[in-house]
Amino acid sequence: MSMPAEVNADEIDQLYIRLKKEAESAGYYLNPDIDFTKMLVKSLITNEGRYGYWACPCRLAEGIKEEDLDIVCPCDYRDADLSRYGTCF
Amino acid sequence: MAKHVPGKKGPYIMLYALSTCPWCQKTKRLLDEMGIEYYYEDVDLLSGDARRDVMADVERWNPNRSFPTMIVDDSRAIIGFQENELRNLLKV
Repeated sequence: MSMPAEVNADEIDQLYIRLKKEAESAGYYLNPDIDFTKMLVKSLITNEGRYGYWACPCRLAEGIKEEDLDIVCPCDYRDADLSRYGTCF
Repeated sequence: MAKHVPGKKGPYIMLYALSTCPWCQKTKRLLDEMGIEYYYEDVDLLSGDARRDVMADVERWNPNRSFPTMIVDDSRAIIGFQENELRNLLKV
């Protein structure tokens, strides 16, 4: 598996804005640390390039979509993590 | 082969991380800032048997298989970026 490729800053900004709107319309909030959140968005784009879908950057993807459905962002573990840690991991 | 980051001796730290995971990056940054010796593996950059072996160990400590998973002294796991817990544990 190769190192994450460079991701265009405009692409990160556009996806960040889109995800922020989508999250807030569903009653969730992105981490207010924008630099951190943009790092996460960059990794989603990296994983989209690697696997073809938004595998969670903090979980190991198998690279087979049917096997990774539970970890496609927003993943099945988000709410449990939010309850336990106040954030998802 | 896990990467070694030299530093002050303390508990033996094995950090299982992903190169894409910002929480893992924050954990590494905190350990670097504290100057603690640790070992880490970016599991998403492994393949084949190496990846399988590492994930078997991650799962033993953290059945949810989330990252970062840090094994301390081969006796306990710290899951996620737990800044206060790490600062308390690693006072040197």
